[in-house]
Amino acid sequence: MLLVIDIGLSNLASVKRGFEIVGGEVVISGESKVISEANAIVLPGVGAFADGMSVLKQRNLIAPLRHASACGVPILGICLGMQLLAGRSEEGGAHLGLGLIEGECKRLDPGQTDDRVPNIGWCDIQPVNRSSLFSSINSNGSYYFAHSFHLDCDEKIKTALIEFGEGCITAAIENNNIFGVQFHPEKSQDFGLDILFAFLQRIKK
Amino acid sequence: MVRPRLIPLLLLKNGLLVRSQGFETHQFIGNPMSTIKRFSDWNVDEIVILDIGGSNNHDLRRDDLQQQYSGQSILDVLSEVAKVCFMPMAVGGQIRSLEDIEVRLRHGADKCVINTQVFVDQALVPSAAGAFGSQCIVVSIDAKRCADGRYEVFSHNGKVATGISPGEWAARCEDAGCGELLLNSIDRDGRGVGFDIELIREVTRAVKIPVIACGGAGRYEDFAAVILDGEASAASAANIFHFFELSYPLAKKAIIEAGVPMRPSRTGSQWINREPIYDTVRENHRIEARISRSRDTEFSINQKPGLKSNIIWCRKCTYPSLSAAPIGFDKNGVCTGCQMANAKKAIPREIWDERLDLLCQEIESGSRGKNVTYDCIIPVSGGKDSYFQVDTIKQKLGYNPLLVTYHGNNYTTVGWRNLSRMKEVFNVDHIIIRPPLETLIKLNRLGFLVMGDMNWHAHIGITTVPVQIAAEYNISTLIWGEHGYTDLSGQFSMNDFPEMSYRDRLEHFGRGYEWNYFVGREGLTSEDMRYWKYPNDQKLLEVGIRGLYLGNYVYWEANEHTKRMIDEYGFEISKTPFDRTFRLASNLDDMHENGVHDYLKYIKFGYGRCTDHTCKDIRSGRMLRNQAIKLIEQFDSVKPSDLSRWLAYVGMDEDEFDRISDTFRDPRVWTVKDGKWRKQKLN
Repeated sequence: MLLVIDIGLSNLASVKRGFEIVGGEVVISGESKVISEANAIVLPGVGAFADGMSVLKQRNLIAPLRHASACGVPILGICLGMQLLAGRSEEGGAHLGLGLIEGECKRLDPGQTDDRVPNIGWCDIQPVNRSSLFSSINSNGSYYFAHSFHLDCDEKIKTALIEFGEGCITAAIENNNIFGVQFHPEKSQDFGLDILFAFLQRIKK
Repeated sequence: MVRPRLIPLLLLKNGLLVRSQGFETHQFIGNPMSTIKRFSDWNVDEIVILDIGGSNNHDLRRDDLQQQYSGQSILDVLSEVAKVCFMPMAVGGQIRSLEDIEVRLRHGADKCVINTQVFVDQALVPSAAGAFGSQCIVVSIDAKRCADGRYEVFSHNGKVATGISPGEWAARCEDAGCGELLLNSIDRDGRGVGFDIELIREVTRAVKIPVIACGGAGRYEDFAAVILDGEASAASAANIFHFFELSYPLAKKAIIEAGVPMRPSRTGSQWINREPIYDTVRENHRIEARISRSRDTEFSINQKPGLKSNIIWCRKCTYPSLSAAPIGFDKNGVCTGCQMANAKKAIPREIWDERLDLLCQEIESGSRGKNVTYDCIIPVSGGKDSYFQVDTIKQKLGYNPLLVTYHGNNYTTVGWRNLSRMKEVFNVDHIIIRPPLETLIKLNRLGFLVMGDMNWHAHIGITTVPVQIAAEYNISTLIWGEHGYTDLSGQFSMNDFPEMSYRDRLEHFGRGYEWNYFVGREGLTSEDMRYWKYPNDQKLLEVGIRGLYLGNYVYWEANEHTKRMIDEYGFEISKTPFDRTFRLASNLDDMHENGVHDYLKYIKFGYGRCTDHTCKDIRSGRMLRNQAIKLIEQFDSVKPSDLSRWLAYVGMDEDEFDRISDTFRDPRVWTVKDGKWRKQKLN
């Protein structure tokens, strides 16, 4: 069973529909007991880091998610969902995340460039390292981003970058069973749907 | 780097897609779902949906249409749209409060667009940005140039002057916390004369947030300047994306060629089908329910009184508001069909000459660089319009057309003689495609049972076979006759030059029923349905297929054309009068088109082809409205004599035919009184 975690107002319906069109069957739930039954978990999310963590805490989802991660259940974080996977964030003060990967979320810095915050729109990703979510077709494509913070983490787990400000920022990560994308695959047409399909294949293995 | 965007804007009125001009005239174009699905397939960057319907009570009941959507509010539309929208979606219209925003986000919107309420409630934008993030709050600004040359912002759908300049207002909206601006030029709306770059620059230079500019796109080449000169983050348009086939990919190509680094378009998604996917279980249930209603002897007696009908008829012609064709009315009760007919009449001769030159350019650009024998394809039925099309293209303009005919096995004797003579009269090549009889009979039966129209095979065959031949022979241009709904109900304006599109074919000609609907019914296979399969989008782009309507380029007056075709080419009209209309020259290619097919339109909507023909004659000044009403009373309700042929052809008895027909009666038109079907009287 593919579980999409309900953390309140977010892109739940779009994520569900995205998985369905690539052949997945999705359960949406915010209940902690469902997590132990999941073969794979998607953590979507739009909004602020602290709000996201407080919903996870209120619904007693933090420990079950950490347990699932330790058991090797594939987990995909989308946008805010990817940021929540990290250890810390500086969004609206210092906050602790799920800590499923090492890293910290930092505010986007345009530096001396004309780049704007929030970063909204289609950006071309650059593949780095090997990833099981990207194929030769979609690993150089454009994806839809809408974010003000980015995940600063170990280079080894990054699988894609985008240019922003005076350097590059994380667009996607992968570490064993933990996956994250800063962009919205459910709003990125074929290239994004390909990623959802690839994630779905992880369950079938 | 964020790529600049190209954004189709969809205006919805009562849940349907409309075209707009000057914020006043709204013509109904189609169903948003199939359009948005194709946008997803084409890698459209983002869409903006603006709900301009004053009422939140959609009434789309059409039992003869295949539509997944049966909701009654914009939220129902959004839920349905979200199922096929794999790109960001901004939604505006009727947004007054935080709750209005929240509920739209919950129904699939990624951003909300606010306009008038920003003036009414100054606190809305700051509190919405706080609650949902500035990235999802877009303020829309409608601006107009004043007599003194300055620009001014208008609120309330462009009706109320605010005295504020667009630059100043944009800066205030940015300070209030909105994440993006949608700027529209009222002067340019729907005119297709290009964007107002000066206005766009005034706004883009006043703010740091992204600006989406719209209003005025008429050609694909117009867009690049919005980004390059107007310095906007996105260019947007409504009408142009609804007029032409594959307009979005073609526009993107033109913009990228002009040096703007937009994301390229694609076709042929692995995940998103152009053809609808039908819920077979639901459809089987619908069909069974209809059969059981038709067998219920008490069906008509037990009909609940219809909902209060509020049908109006055009004050100039006789077209009803509740109809098979998309129609609107102005404040004087005059229909869009009459409005567009007047606009057409007002076009002076020299402009028609220019239009004809334009047609030549289009045909020549279509065959340029191609080593093909034919300049274009003319789909012909052998009727008066076919003769006129070939007369214009071959005799008058000197091109070499290939004629293509779909033969649905319903020719009248006269109609068949007219068709067979075309190759000799005009000395042209002519391909006639005749699908096997068994398949045609099955499709006749199924069409009648499923949508109350035995001629689905003909509508889709006629609009598909010539395009298949075009794809096969690598011929870009097809010359159709008139754009039917522009002529009949004013669906488009004379400067739109609408072209044949997959949307028109599916939604108008096919009523939402695609070839795959029939696979598995009465034993039909995918291979059986090959005559009704439209070439895919990649093929259409590769060959550069465009379906032009001759009616956009020459003044079209059917009665005059017919007379000339009789005189010059010996075109024959029907010697025996039709049962259901006074016109003798129309629809000779299909004995049922003026007969049972049209009778079913009367059963559904309470009017028939005689109404259509009187409207055309009233508009061309050949008939008075009271004469028309007399003819309509005489003809519209007649049960035609070709019914007996059709019943024998498909093996059905008349009683069964009547019973199934009755299940299609629109409850807004028909009520039962004393065991008889009654309807509001035309006035």
